[in-house]
Amino acid sequence: MAPRFEYAQASEIRDAFARHGVRYLFIGKSGAILLGYPDTTQDADLFMEKGSENGAAAVIALRDLGFSLSEPQAEEIRRGKDFVQLRSGPFDVDLVFAPDGIETFAGAWQRRVEVEGFPVCHLDDIIASKKAANRVKDRESLPRLMAFREYWLTHRR
Amino acid sequence: MCQPSDRLKIPAMEAGGIREPDPEELREWQAEFEAAARRPLATRLRYAFIHTYKPVLDDAPFRAFDTMADYREWCAKNLPSWLGYGPAV
Repeated sequence: MAPRFEYAQASEIRDAFARHGVRYLFIGKSGAILLGYPDTTQDADLFMEKGSENGAAAVIALRDLGFSLSEPQAEEIRRGKDFVQLRSGPFDVDLVFAPDGIETFAGAWQRRVEVEGFPVCHLDDIIASKKAANRVKDRESLPRLMAFREYWLTHRR
Repeated sequence: MCQPSDRLKIPAMEAGGIREPDPEELREWQAEFEAAARRPLATRLRYAFIHTYKPVLDDAPFRAFDTMADYREWCAKNLPSWLGYGPAV
Protein backbone atom coordinates (compact mmCIF):
# COMPACT_ATOMS: atom_id res chain seq x y z
CA MET A 1 0.00 0.00 0.00
CA ALA A 2 1.29 3.44 -0.90
CA PRO A 3 2.35 5.65 2.01
CA ARG A 4 0.19 8.58 2.92
CA PHE A 5 0.08 11.50 0.55
CA GLU A 6 0.69 14.64 2.56
CA TYR A 7 2.01 18.14 2.10
CA ALA A 8 5.55 16.79 1.80
CA GLN A 9 4.62 14.53 -1.11
CA ALA A 10 2.64 17.26 -2.84
CA SER A 11 5.67 19.52 -2.44
CA GLU A 12 7.91 16.85 -3.93
CA ILE A 13 5.70 16.71 -7.03
CA ARG A 14 5.65 20.50 -7.25
CA ASP A 15 9.41 20.80 -6.85
CA ALA A 16 10.40 17.90 -9.12
CA PHE A 17 8.02 19.00 -11.87
CA ALA A 18 9.25 22.59 -11.58
CA ARG A 19 12.86 21.42 -11.74
CA HIS A 20 12.21 19.61 -15.00
CA GLY A 21 9.82 22.15 -16.45
CA VAL A 22 6.79 19.87 -16.49
CA ARG A 23 3.53 21.64 -17.36
CA TYR A 24 0.70 20.25 -15.25
CA LEU A 25 -2.19 21.20 -13.00
CA PHE A 26 -3.70 19.50 -9.99
CA ILE A 27 -7.21 18.48 -10.92
CA GLY A 28 -10.02 16.38 -9.46
CA LYS A 29 -10.70 16.19 -5.79
CA SER A 30 -7.02 16.59 -4.94
CA GLY A 31 -7.10 19.92 -6.78
CA ALA A 32 -10.24 20.99 -4.96
CA ILE A 33 -8.65 20.07 -1.64
CA LEU A 34 -5.68 22.30 -2.44
CA LEU A 35 -8.18 25.10 -3.04
CA GLY A 36 -9.62 24.55 0.44
CA TYR A 37 -12.35 21.98 -0.15
CA PRO A 38 -12.68 19.81 2.95
CA ASP A 39 -12.98 16.22 1.82
CA THR A 40 -10.96 13.05 1.47
CA THR A 41 -9.41 11.41 -1.55
CA GLN A 42 -7.04 8.58 -2.28
CA ASP A 43 -4.61 9.86 -4.85
CA ALA A 44 -3.39 12.91 -6.68
CA ASP A 45 -4.78 13.64 -10.13
CA LEU A 46 -2.55 15.64 -12.43
CA PHE A 47 -3.73 17.23 -15.66
CA MET A 48 -0.69 17.06 -17.94
CA GLU A 49 -0.07 19.12 -21.02
CA LYS A 50 0.05 16.80 -23.99
CA GLY A 51 3.26 16.82 -26.01
CA SER A 52 6.36 14.71 -26.32
CA GLU A 53 8.59 17.29 -24.65
CA ASN A 54 6.34 17.60 -21.61
CA GLY A 55 5.87 13.84 -21.49
CA ALA A 56 9.62 13.27 -21.55
CA ALA A 57 10.13 15.83 -18.77
CA ALA A 58 7.40 14.15 -16.74
CA VAL A 59 9.10 10.76 -17.05
CA ILE A 60 12.37 12.19 -15.72
CA ALA A 61 10.58 13.96 -12.87
CA LEU A 62 8.56 10.87 -11.94
CA ARG A 63 11.71 8.74 -11.87
CA ASP A 64 13.34 11.39 -9.69
CA LEU A 65 10.38 11.05 -7.34
CA GLY A 66 10.94 7.30 -7.10
CA PHE A 67 8.39 5.94 -9.56
CA SER A 68 9.53 2.73 -11.14
CA LEU A 69 8.84 2.96 -14.85
CA SER A 70 9.93 0.44 -17.46
CA GLU A 71 10.95 1.86 -20.81
CA PRO A 72 7.66 0.82 -22.51
CA GLN A 73 5.73 2.46 -19.65
CA ALA A 74 7.83 5.61 -19.91
CA GLU A 75 7.12 5.68 -23.63
CA GLU A 76 3.38 5.61 -23.01
CA ILE A 77 3.73 8.70 -20.81
CA ARG A 78 5.92 10.43 -23.39
CA ARG A 79 3.28 9.72 -26.03
CA GLY A 80 0.66 11.27 -23.77
CA LYS A 81 -1.91 8.51 -23.55
CA ASP A 82 -5.10 10.09 -22.32
CA PHE A 83 -5.02 8.42 -18.91
CA VAL A 84 -2.12 6.84 -17.01
CA GLN A 85 -2.52 5.32 -13.58
CA LEU A 86 0.65 4.98 -11.50
CA ARG A 87 0.81 2.71 -8.49
CA SER A 88 4.54 2.03 -8.71
CA GLY A 89 5.92 4.88 -6.67
CA PRO A 90 5.99 6.50 -3.26
CA PHE A 91 2.35 7.58 -3.64
CA ASP A 92 -0.50 7.00 -6.05
CA VAL A 93 -0.86 9.37 -8.98
CA ASP A 94 -3.15 9.50 -11.99
CA LEU A 95 -1.86 11.40 -15.01
CA VAL A 96 -4.70 12.78 -17.12
CA PHE A 97 -3.73 14.13 -20.51
CA ALA A 98 -7.27 14.76 -21.78
CA PRO A 99 -9.73 15.21 -18.93
CA ASP A 100 -13.39 15.08 -19.81
CA GLY A 101 -15.09 18.47 -19.93
CA ILE A 102 -11.99 20.64 -20.47
CA GLU A 103 -11.21 21.67 -24.02
CA THR A 104 -7.54 22.52 -23.82
CA PHE A 105 -4.69 22.54 -21.35
CA ALA A 106 -3.83 26.08 -22.45
CA GLY A 107 -7.28 27.31 -21.43
CA ALA A 108 -7.13 25.56 -18.09
CA TRP A 109 -3.63 26.93 -17.55
CA GLN A 110 -4.89 30.49 -18.10
CA ARG A 111 -7.64 29.94 -15.54
CA ARG A 112 -5.39 28.17 -13.01
CA VAL A 113 -5.06 29.14 -9.37
CA GLU A 114 -1.70 29.06 -7.59
CA VAL A 115 -1.80 27.82 -4.00
CA GLU A 116 1.56 27.96 -2.24
CA GLY A 117 3.23 27.31 -5.57
CA PHE A 118 0.91 24.45 -6.51
CA PRO A 119 -0.71 25.01 -9.91
CA VAL A 120 -4.35 24.02 -9.56
CA CYS A 121 -7.22 23.95 -12.03
CA HIS A 122 -9.87 26.55 -11.42
CA LEU A 123 -12.78 25.08 -9.50
CA ASP A 124 -15.03 25.62 -12.52
CA ASP A 125 -12.78 23.31 -14.55
CA ILE A 126 -12.73 20.71 -11.78
CA ILE A 127 -16.52 20.80 -11.65
CA ALA A 128 -16.79 20.71 -15.45
CA SER A 129 -14.60 17.62 -15.63
CA LYS A 130 -16.61 15.84 -12.95
CA LYS A 131 -19.87 16.70 -14.65
CA ALA A 132 -18.57 15.42 -17.97
CA ALA A 133 -17.14 12.24 -16.47
CA ASN A 134 -20.53 11.61 -14.89
CA ARG A 135 -19.47 8.66 -12.76
CA VAL A 136 -21.54 7.59 -9.82
CA LYS A 137 -18.97 8.99 -7.39
CA ASP A 138 -18.84 12.30 -9.27
CA ARG A 139 -22.60 12.64 -9.22
CA GLU A 140 -22.57 12.05 -5.47
CA SER A 141 -19.85 14.60 -4.79
CA LEU A 142 -21.05 17.39 -7.11
CA PRO A 143 -23.71 19.03 -4.90
CA ARG A 144 -21.22 19.65 -2.09
CA LEU A 145 -18.46 20.65 -4.49
CA MET A 146 -20.78 23.13 -6.21
CA ALA A 147 -21.74 24.56 -2.84
CA PHE A 148 -18.04 24.95 -2.07
CA ARG A 149 -17.58 26.80 -5.34
CA GLU A 150 -20.00 29.48 -4.15
CA TYR A 151 -18.24 29.72 -0.80
CA TRP A 152 -14.80 29.81 -2.43
CA LEU A 153 -15.68 32.49 -4.97
CA THR A 154 -16.84 34.84 -2.24
CA HIS A 155 -14.10 34.07 0.28
CA ARG A 156 -10.94 33.45 -1.74
CA ARG A 157 -8.12 35.84 -1.09
CA MET B 1 -29.13 37.51 11.81
CA CYS B 2 -28.02 36.14 8.52
CA GLN B 3 -28.00 32.35 8.64
CA PRO B 4 -25.42 30.37 6.69
CA SER B 5 -28.13 28.91 4.51
CA ASP B 6 -29.16 32.43 3.57
CA ARG B 7 -25.67 33.33 2.55
CA LEU B 8 -24.61 30.17 0.78
CA LYS B 9 -26.55 29.90 -2.38
CA ILE B 10 -25.79 27.43 -5.06
CA PRO B 11 -26.81 27.82 -8.65
CA ALA B 12 -29.82 25.94 -9.83
CA MET B 13 -28.74 22.41 -10.52
CA GLU B 14 -28.85 21.68 -14.18
CA ALA B 15 -30.90 18.96 -15.65
CA GLY B 16 -29.00 15.73 -15.47
CA GLY B 17 -29.84 14.49 -12.06
CA ILE B 18 -27.51 16.38 -9.74
CA ARG B 19 -29.51 16.52 -6.58
CA GLU B 20 -30.43 19.69 -4.76
CA PRO B 21 -29.03 19.82 -1.21
CA ASP B 22 -31.41 20.66 1.58
CA PRO B 23 -30.94 23.75 3.78
CA GLU B 24 -29.61 21.72 6.70
CA GLU B 25 -26.93 20.19 4.49
CA LEU B 26 -25.97 23.62 3.21
CA ARG B 27 -25.61 24.88 6.79
CA GLU B 28 -23.39 21.92 7.69
CA TRP B 29 -21.30 22.31 4.57
CA GLN B 30 -20.79 26.00 5.11
CA ALA B 31 -19.58 25.32 8.65
CA GLU B 32 -17.16 22.72 7.25
CA PHE B 33 -15.89 25.13 4.60
CA GLU B 34 -15.30 27.80 7.22
CA ALA B 35 -13.51 25.38 9.53
CA ALA B 36 -11.30 24.19 6.68
CA ALA B 37 -10.44 27.77 5.74
CA ARG B 38 -8.99 28.27 9.21
CA ARG B 39 -6.56 25.35 8.82
CA PRO B 40 -3.20 25.68 7.09
CA LEU B 41 -2.76 23.79 3.85
CA ALA B 42 -0.42 21.19 5.38
CA THR B 43 -3.06 20.29 7.97
CA ARG B 44 -5.79 20.10 5.36
CA LEU B 45 -3.70 17.75 3.26
CA ARG B 46 -2.82 15.56 6.24
CA TYR B 47 -6.46 14.72 6.78
CA ALA B 48 -7.53 14.72 3.15
CA PHE B 49 -5.60 11.83 1.67
CA ILE B 50 -6.72 8.50 2.99
CA HIS B 51 -5.50 5.45 1.22
CA THR B 52 -7.69 2.39 1.29
CA TYR B 53 -7.23 -0.61 -0.91
CA LYS B 54 -9.45 -0.53 -3.99
CA PRO B 55 -9.88 -3.98 -5.50
CA VAL B 56 -8.74 -4.39 -9.09
CA LEU B 57 -7.89 -0.70 -9.42
CA ASP B 58 -4.90 -1.00 -7.08
CA ASP B 59 -3.79 -4.40 -8.30
CA ALA B 60 -1.54 -3.21 -11.12
CA PRO B 61 1.44 -0.87 -10.79
CA PHE B 62 0.75 0.79 -14.13
CA ARG B 63 -2.12 1.18 -16.55
CA ALA B 64 -2.40 3.41 -19.59
CA PHE B 65 -5.39 4.05 -21.81
CA ASP B 66 -5.35 5.60 -25.26
CA THR B 67 -8.55 7.54 -24.65
CA MET B 68 -10.67 8.56 -21.68
CA ALA B 69 -13.50 6.58 -23.26
CA ASP B 70 -11.31 3.45 -23.10
CA TYR B 71 -10.56 4.16 -19.46
CA ARG B 72 -14.22 4.71 -18.58
CA GLU B 73 -15.19 1.53 -20.39
CA TRP B 74 -12.50 -0.43 -18.57
CA CYS B 75 -13.70 0.93 -15.21
CA ALA B 76 -17.31 0.05 -15.98
CA LYS B 77 -16.43 -3.48 -17.02
CA ASN B 78 -13.80 -4.36 -14.46
CA LEU B 79 -14.31 -2.48 -11.22
CA PRO B 80 -16.82 -3.39 -8.53
CA SER B 81 -19.81 -1.09 -8.91
CA TRP B 82 -19.62 0.03 -5.29
CA LEU B 83 -16.36 1.87 -6.01
CA GLY B 84 -18.45 4.35 -7.95
CA TYR B 85 -16.31 4.51 -11.09
CA GLY B 86 -19.11 3.36 -13.35
CA PRO B 87 -21.35 5.75 -15.27
CA ALA B 88 -24.19 7.40 -13.39
CA VAL B 89 -27.47 6.22 -14.81
